[in-house]
Amino acid sequence: MALTLPPDSRTPLSWPVQPGNGLRASHGIARTLRILLAMALALWFALPLVPLALWAFADRWSFPAVLPQAWGWDGVRTALAQGAVPAFGHSLLLGLLVSAVATPLGVLAARALAYHRVPYAPVVNVLLFAPLALPAFVAALGLNVLLLRLQVPPFAGVVLLLSVYALPYTSYTMRVAYGAHDLAIEEEARLLGASPWQVTWRVQLPLLAPALARAAFLAFLVGWSDYVITVLVGGGTIVTVPVLVASAAAGTGNDATVALLSAAALLPPLVLLLGLGLFGRRPTGGRP
Amino acid sequence: MIGAVTLEGLSKTFPGTGGPVLEDVNLSVDAGTCTALLGPSGAGKSTLLRAIAGLERPDTGRVLVGGRDMAGVRPERRGMAMVQQRPLLFPHLNVLDNVAFAGTVRGIPKRVARADAAGFLELVQLAGFGPRPVVALSGGQAQRVAIARALAARPAVLLLDEPFSALDPELRSVMHDLLAQLRRTLNPTILMVTHDRSEAAAVAERIALFSGGRMLQHDSVELMYSRPSSLEASRLMGGANEIAGTVRKGCHHSALGALRLPDDTTWQPGPGMLLVRQESIEVGPWDGPGLHATVSGLRALGPRRLVRLDAAGVLLRAEVPLGRALAEGDSVRLKIPTSALAVVDDPDTAHTFPGAETRPPITSQGRGTLATADN
Repeated sequence: MALTLPPDSRTPLSWPVQPGNGLRASHGIARTLRILLAMALALWFALPLVPLALWAFADRWSFPAVLPQAWGWDGVRTALAQGAVPAFGHSLLLGLLVSAVATPLGVLAARALAYHRVPYAPVVNVLLFAPLALPAFVAALGLNVLLLRLQVPPFAGVVLLLSVYALPYTSYTMRVAYGAHDLAIEEEARLLGASPWQVTWRVQLPLLAPALARAAFLAFLVGWSDYVITVLVGGGTIVTVPVLVASAAAGTGNDATVALLSAAALLPPLVLLLGLGLFGRRPTGGRP
Repeated sequence: MIGAVTLEGLSKTFPGTGGPVLEDVNLSVDAGTCTALLGPSGAGKSTLLRAIAGLERPDTGRVLVGGRDMAGVRPERRGMAMVQQRPLLFPHLNVLDNVAFAGTVRGIPKRVARADAAGFLELVQLAGFGPRPVVALSGGQAQRVAIARALAARPAVLLLDEPFSALDPELRSVMHDLLAQLRRTLNPTILMVTHDRSEAAAVAERIALFSGGRMLQHDSVELMYSRPSSLEASRLMGGANEIAGTVRKGCHHSALGALRLPDDTTWQPGPGMLLVRQESIEVGPWDGPGLHATVSGLRALGPRRLVRLDAAGVLLRAEVPLGRALAEGDSVRLKIPTSALAVVDDPDTAHTFPGAETRPPITSQGRGTLATADN
């Protein structure tokens, strides 16, 4: 997880957008360099996927061959035999539950920090971001004892801890959104006859929907991709995709299985990301 | 009357602001009239409007609409709508659905609310704009949609918070005409916040003048200009001539001589500041009748000029049309109509007058009382 600094509570979190500003347009060599850099970055992200895709369906690929010598479904069969389907189910459930817990909590924290007088707001800000600075295994080992004493079921414990780890992402995303959200629009809706409930559903939610989707997606990723907390707090009883990948990678001759599971693990977030890009935009209300 | 608004002793203080933002404001607005809340920035006008709308809770005092106390009544149930400086249109709805919003939240079927909204769009001369996204509107169009949206809520009281201040002068004038037309058609009670005297005079019948959270005066537009109740009110209304002197037997005595005051008011004797609007002073040729003065300065004011005049050592200002051939040092004659004169207390000298403790203040509101009685 990348370390992100907590936002200063006094810093405005939105900046004016000025499309078409001539000072920011690049021409000539600068434009060429910009395009080349973008292509290099795209290649940098795509390159690791190529060997994964090749390995996933390679029954035999020995050095120094450039391409697999035998193609087949051994990787798929082994992955299924090792419990890939339940592992995907567990990961999906974990991601969704973490998202379901951390997103509303992030919304509440962000709204409180953006609109209300929170006592010791800078301290609260730092606390919200503390999970990013704290190594996961430290928190997991420390809290595991507490969760065991409290007889919290392992799966619930994992969801609980991962939700705390997702909170910095959801609260920050929503804080940015609330910073740009104009409360005067909500007041206007009230004066037009909308009840507080109608304002939430008919004004606030549509306007904040893209940010909510982004926050939920980030929280899902935390649950989907976690390994350390799942292993330590789950006590080995919860087998998720990262746990299965790590276990397969620890053995020998599992290259195809590892590659297949890793490549497949990309699909759900990728689908969500595409969905976010396509449907996560604020509706603009009509045609020009 | 349903839309009559009465404010009784309204006060409001925000923590950390030092003083009250509103201080004992009492105001009565008749149903179907338009009153401008005029004053400089920070006078408390917008806070007052928000308190009337229910968006701010006053510390003390009451807001009554149609005789009903609004304490504890939620903003959505007050029968009011507000148009602010920014149109604040809902960006996720198109123009038609913005205007239909009030109807749909009241539970009216969407089809009916949209048909109703189309009528209001026509009223603000934006027929056919319904399917457009709000981002495709110009500033003036967006403000028209905001007005249509507010009117579609069928408010008994329409609150306008500097709604035209972000528009260019030409568009603002168009919007003033539009507002006049809407008043003729729908006749809501209107309270409009503005810091522009000309705008207040253009759209409202009455002006409530505010400064430092206090209401200084509430009168018809004409009386606000011709009979300010205090020196502060006169200055805020743009009055430029203040002549110190004394009132005796219905005349004001100063370096300008004895000037008879309007006889529609009983002027209290004592030290008083004579006020006369710069627009009311007529500047004539040297060989004509009137008070002798010398031109000491000229300043262009668009189609008019502000002339600084030295009359018997008193500095006066008068506005004249551009075409008049005047130059510094010219001798002229001034005519000051009696009806244009008013006297208010001179805060520097009023307390020095014998019996100042018991003497009622000199105020030019007498004619206001007469005017009200005439009505």
